[in-house]
Order: sequence, then C-alpha cells, then structure tokens
Amino acid sequence: MNATPTSTTPQGTPSKSAKRDRSALGSRLVQAAFVLVLVGLWYLGTTYGQISPILLPNPVRVFDELVDVLATLEFVSDLGVTLFELAIAFSISATSGIVLGYLISRSQYSIRVFEPLLAGIYSVPIILFLPLYILFFGLGPSSKIALGVTTSFFPIILNTIAGFGYVERVYVLSARSMGASDYQLFRWVLLPAAFPIILTGLRIGFTVALLSILGSETIASLAGLGHRIVHLGEGMDMARMFAYIAFAVAIALTLNTVTSSLEARARRR
Amino acid sequence: MTSTAYPAQSRGAVPLGRRCKRWILARPGVARLGVIALLFIAWEVAARSFVDKLFLSPPSLVFTQIHTVFETTGVPNALRVSAYEIGVAFVMSVAIGLAVGLAVGLHRFSQKSLMPIILLLYGTPQITILPLFILYFGIGPASKIAFGVSHGIFPIIVTVVAGVQNIKPILLTSAKSMGASRWHIFRWVIFPHMIPSFFAGMRLGMTGVLLGVLLAELYVSTAGIGYYTTLFTQSFNPTKLLGLISILAAMAILLNEIVRRAELHYSRWRSD
Amino acid sequence: MAGNDLAIRVRNVSHQFGEEGSTQFVRAMLETSLDIHRGELLCLIGPSGCGKSTLLNVIGGLLTPTSGQVLVGDTEVSGPLPQEIAYVFQENALFPWSTVIENVNLGMMFQGVPKVEREPRARKSLAAVGLSDFANHYPGQLSGGMRQRAALARALSLETGIILMDEPFGALDEQTRMVLGEDLSVLLSRTGKTIVFVTHSLGEAVFLADRVAVFSARPGTIKEVIKIDEPHPRKPGFMTSEKFTDLRNTLFALLHEEIRKAMEQSAASERAAGRDGHS
Repeated sequence: MNATPTSTTPQGTPSKSAKRDRSALGSRLVQAAFVLVLVGLWYLGTTYGQISPILLPNPVRVFDELVDVLATLEFVSDLGVTLFELAIAFSISATSGIVLGYLISRSQYSIRVFEPLLAGIYSVPIILFLPLYILFFGLGPSSKIALGVTTSFFPIILNTIAGFGYVERVYVLSARSMGASDYQLFRWVLLPAAFPIILTGLRIGFTVALLSILGSETIASLAGLGHRIVHLGEGMDMARMFAYIAFAVAIALTLNTVTSSLEARARRR
Repeated sequence: MTSTAYPAQSRGAVPLGRRCKRWILARPGVARLGVIALLFIAWEVAARSFVDKLFLSPPSLVFTQIHTVFETTGVPNALRVSAYEIGVAFVMSVAIGLAVGLAVGLHRFSQKSLMPIILLLYGTPQITILPLFILYFGIGPASKIAFGVSHGIFPIIVTVVAGVQNIKPILLTSAKSMGASRWHIFRWVIFPHMIPSFFAGMRLGMTGVLLGVLLAELYVSTAGIGYYTTLFTQSFNPTKLLGLISILAAMAILLNEIVRRAELHYSRWRSD
Repeated sequence: MAGNDLAIRVRNVSHQFGEEGSTQFVRAMLETSLDIHRGELLCLIGPSGCGKSTLLNVIGGLLTPTSGQVLVGDTEVSGPLPQEIAYVFQENALFPWSTVIENVNLGMMFQGVPKVEREPRARKSLAAVGLSDFANHYPGQLSGGMRQRAALARALSLETGIILMDEPFGALDEQTRMVLGEDLSVLLSRTGKTIVFVTHSLGEAVFLADRVAVFSARPGTIKEVIKIDEPHPRKPGFMTSEKFTDLRNTLFALLHEEIRKAMEQSAASERAAGRDGHS
C-alpha cells in the first residue's frame, strides 16, 4: 500500500527518512571527530609539545605498556582479586537482599516501617563505612567485600520490596478469586510481576558493588586493580598506570554492558 | 482487607494489650523508631560484650565522647575545609551542568551527537583516575573540588537535557500559535518546564559531589579528613573514628535533605 | 428465564471502611437486601461511590461486610468461592507476563482443574469469545476489547454457575462496548449462568439485563429494581425500539437526582481537602 520512499519524493525534495539518515550520520561524524581530536591533541602534545611525561605519558607508550600487560598476563592476579571480591560481595548482597526484601514485602505495614529506613541509610555516602571496615577487617579482601556488600545491598533490597510489595492489587485479587493458594500466588503472580524490577535492582547492585570495590582498593588496599593503579602512580610509572586505568575502565564498561543486556533480555517478555 | 472482628461490640470492652497493638499498627513511624532503637541496642551490646575494644566502640561511648573528636587538633579545620570543598564543588557542578545541559538539550542535533559521549563518560568508573586528579591538582582542596565537580555535573546535565527534551510538543505548538518569539518560548515554556528535572538533577548532583569529595578526602591520607581517618584507624581508636564518621554522615544527610526539600518545593506542579 | 431457586441471597448487608471518627471513615453502603434468581442477568447501576462495586465484592467474597450476610445456594459467603463464582474485573486483570491461553490455563489451575482437562476447556472458551486465533498473544499485544474478551474466556472456562462483572466494558470506547454487549447477550443466552453486572451505562443496563437494581447516592442502598421483560438473545433492533427508550428514560429519571447528589458530595470533599494542609 505504501510507496517505498527512496532518497527523494516525486517532487525532488528529500523525504523525511533521508533527513533522518543524514542527521544520524552527522552525529556519528561529530562523535568520531571528538574522539579523534582528543587523541590527536594528546599525541601531539606529548610528542612535540612541552607536556612532561610525568604528568601525561605519550599515548604510544601507553599502548605499548598495555600490550605488555596483556601479553605477559600480568593483569591476572590483580583482576582476579577484584573479581573475587566482586563475586563474593554480590552473592552475599543478592541473596540477603532478595530474601529480606521478600519477607519485608509480605505486609504493607512492614513496608511502611522498613522502606523509608533503608532508603534513609542509603542516602548516606556508604564510602564513609570504609575506614570502619579497614579497622575491623584490615587491608585484605574482607574489608573490600564488606564495603561491596554494604553498598550493593540497598538497591537490591529496595527494588525487591518495590517489586513484590507493589504488585497490582487487581492481579492478586483475581488470582485469589480463582482459588489460588499461597504458593500458587507467589509462583505465578508475585514472582513474574516482581521479576523485572528485581532484575534492575540486581544490575544496579552489581555496578555499584564494582565501583565501591574499586574505590576501596584505591584508598586502602594491598592488591586488586585499584591498588595497582595507585601503586604505579606512586612509582611514577605513568605509562603503565594509564594502561591499567584503560584496562580497568574497559573491564568495568564490559561488565556494565553484559549486565544491562542480560537484564534487557530477561525483561523482554 | 477490612477488620470485621468487632462489628457491633461497644468500644470500651477492648482489652489493653489489643489496644496497644492497634495503636502501634496505626503508626509505622513509631515502629520505625523502635527498629532504630533496637539496632542501637544491638550495637551497644555487641561492642560491650562480643567485640574487642580495639575494633568497635559502643554508641554510648561514641556519642558522649564526640567532643574529643572536635578537640583533636586540626579536625574542626579539616571539617570546615571539607564543607567548603563540597559547597564550591556543588555550585560549580550546578553552573556547569546547567550550562552544558541547556547547550546540548536545546538543539536536536547537539543532543544526538554529544549525549552518547556524555553518557559514556557518566558510565566510566571515575575512581580509577582519582590518583591522577591528586597528581594534577595536588593534595589540597583543588583536587577534591575537581573530583567532586567531575561526579556532580553528569546527573545534572542528563536531567536538564531530559527536562528540555521531554516537553510535550503541543505546549510548544500552542505557544507558537499565540505568537511567542524564540526567547519567549525559552523563558516562559521550556525553562519553567525543565525546573523540576533540574532540581531532581541537583539532588543527584549533590549525592555525586558528596561522593567525589569524600572519596578524594579519604584517599589523601596526609592531610584533611583522610589524615584523621587514617590516624584513628592506625591507632585503633574506634571511638574517635566512629565519632568522625558520624559527624560526616550527619553533614551528608543534612545537605541531601536540604536539596531534597528544594526539589519537592519546586516540583509541585508536576502530577506525575 | 429465571428459575424458582435463588442463586444468591443478600441479607441486610452494610459496609463501612475505617473506624468511625477517623479521617478514612467512609460509610460505603447502607443495609441492602437483594434476591438474585438462577439464570438471570442482574445489573447494578448507580452514581459513583454509591456502593455498587462494594456490594459486588461482598457477594464475591472479596470483602467481608461490617454487617449482614450473603448466601450462595446454602453456603454463607466468607471468602472467595472459586468453584461457584468467577469474577471479571474492570481494569485488566490478565497477567501481562503470560499469553492469553496461559492466562486461561492459570485460572483453571488455581481453581483446581486437573491438567488434562485444562487445554480443551481453554480452547473451548476462547472459541466462544472469538479469540481462537489469538491464543498465543500477550495481553499487551491486544486491544482493550480483546483483552476483556480474554478475561471473560478465563471466567467462562472456570465453569462456575455465577459470574460477577465489575464494569467490564468501562475502559472501552462506545463502539467496542456495543459490539461486545451484543456478543455477551448471545453468549449468555446459551450458557444459562447467573450474572451480576455493575455498570455506569444506562443503555448497557437496559440492553443486557433482566433486572436492573438502581442505587442511591452514597451511602447507598437499592432504591428500586426495574424489570426488563425481553427475551435473550437481545437483538440489535431492541436498542432502537420504543420499549427500550421508555425503560431507559425510567432509569434516567431514577438516576439523575442521585448523580447530582453524588457530584455535590465529591465537590464538597475536594473543597475540604483543599482547605486543610495543602499550600
């Protein structure tokens, strides 16, 4: 029924879809230009300009160091520590957050008691707990895990409460009117209704756990990616430091993308 | 759903125990205070009986001894400097965030080309470049302010852009049909519409600034707050450490609350 | 049409929300009694807030009244009776995470229908409402009218003697309502179930019901019950007949005064709310 639009309508003026393609192309060009200019200035400034290598290493050297780090598998021990801390912290906060969140969501009253409390504690910058955990657990992985658990617990439990606690009343009433038992209600109504929201909470919790673990490694640690970056900085090994920064950022972005797409895929139904 | 347990009984006949229960059930705020009290009691008991005095201090000690934290030389000054850093970082974040947000948001093209870059930057773990900030800006307030701004501008930019972009086209059409000039439309349609988003962004921005400044402060262990947290930690003084943390937490809660109230006040017309 | 036995007996039911004296206190319904015959379609109509949905919820066992009782057959209603009563809600109660046929199957599973019987019954009821081709669609992919058909199919598959419907066509546009109304009439003339139906629409009430119970404004009670003597299935021609217009006018006269009262009540409570504590 529709005439397929090509780049021009019969009158010779560009159609709407052509305009959209052009602006999409234009924005891509601007983004590419932005990146190129930035890298270009970086390279020129350090190669020919007066910028001291103590402040800003040459991008070529950074690249070489990065290749070295990857090729010699030097990153494995630090990455391993960070991922280990992340895995433990997230497992603890996910299980406790979902279980406790479900229990709290069972009555409107307990939601009204606990939810503002949890939201209030979450509004305090959790990083303040770090010195406490250092005092308690020392500089090892335990203090990082403790901070990771503390930070990621809150988005998970809050989203679990929101997911289970605010299921549309009409679904619960409808299921009850058809004779659903408590288990049937949970399995076929509450769980599928709450699932997308809980999943979002898990994604946020994961991201936030990683950030707080990297943060605590930076501030006070003996191992891990954050620590490695600081250590190299203190030794003035700038090129290698930048290489590790790039590596850590890449890892974080990859993990973010993976969790986001997992969440999106599970939510599509 | 509704209680049917006492359909036609006279009210005087309800026993005391049940009346107390109903009173508490009607007031979740009271129950919440009860939970908080229980937590403090648990802390008190744990600190006094289970945990070594070197690692944990009971709240009774922490809060009665809090004046010793202030009496420690240099602490009040460090607190003052931190407050100053937060204030400056917040004002700068708001100014820069608003300017950039408006510049990007007002034109479709700039929004489409620049937003992905901004979002990418927003999503990177800035903590990894904290050592660089200290390297470039030194261990004084400048690096803390810079790191705070770096965390604070992004939520503001994003929410300002959203506030500008989300305006219902019908409102713009309606204004144009009444003969509004471009400036009129900006000043009287777009700007007021964007204000609630802007305040929401400021709330997130304050959270970001607090995070950035505190991270930087804790990292620098040779001066400022970081010096004292390290000092109290390494000398195994949980009383003073908890005292200092409580002071900082109180400061953070206060600032967050102020911004949150401002947001509520300026978003009144929103029905969503 | 109506049998001699009574499917539902409502005896002196009244209901209030909240404690007397508290801010949330609402007297939803004054003492009301009603007899509903087996196989009849009874409509509850009245202004907003008059208690008609409250009465429906009480009959369905979803709400325990502050006084009075409801008898279904010989049993006193004290909770949902999934074997006797199926409930169709106004806003969509179809689970958005399941397909149409999964929704119908779930209803039967909740009720306790053995697994082997579910699929054929589901297919049958979907065919009855004309949704056979959409069995594997998600509610989000369907129009409002189709969603309500699916909800009706779910209710039919439960094979209860009684179906309660709370403004089932409330969210739909005029044309869809008309079509669905005609289809409903045809469907119900075949099944012989007892239907209690809440609506706002005068035309719908006259077109579908055997009897119409008119509620007064809040706190409501049944003001009058009008009989509609016209055989089912009702033909589209009925709607343009003089008999229809007369009945509709009677209903209008009864309701008009109550609707005005209800509007004044809600305006008064809005003013009161505006006065205290809102800057």
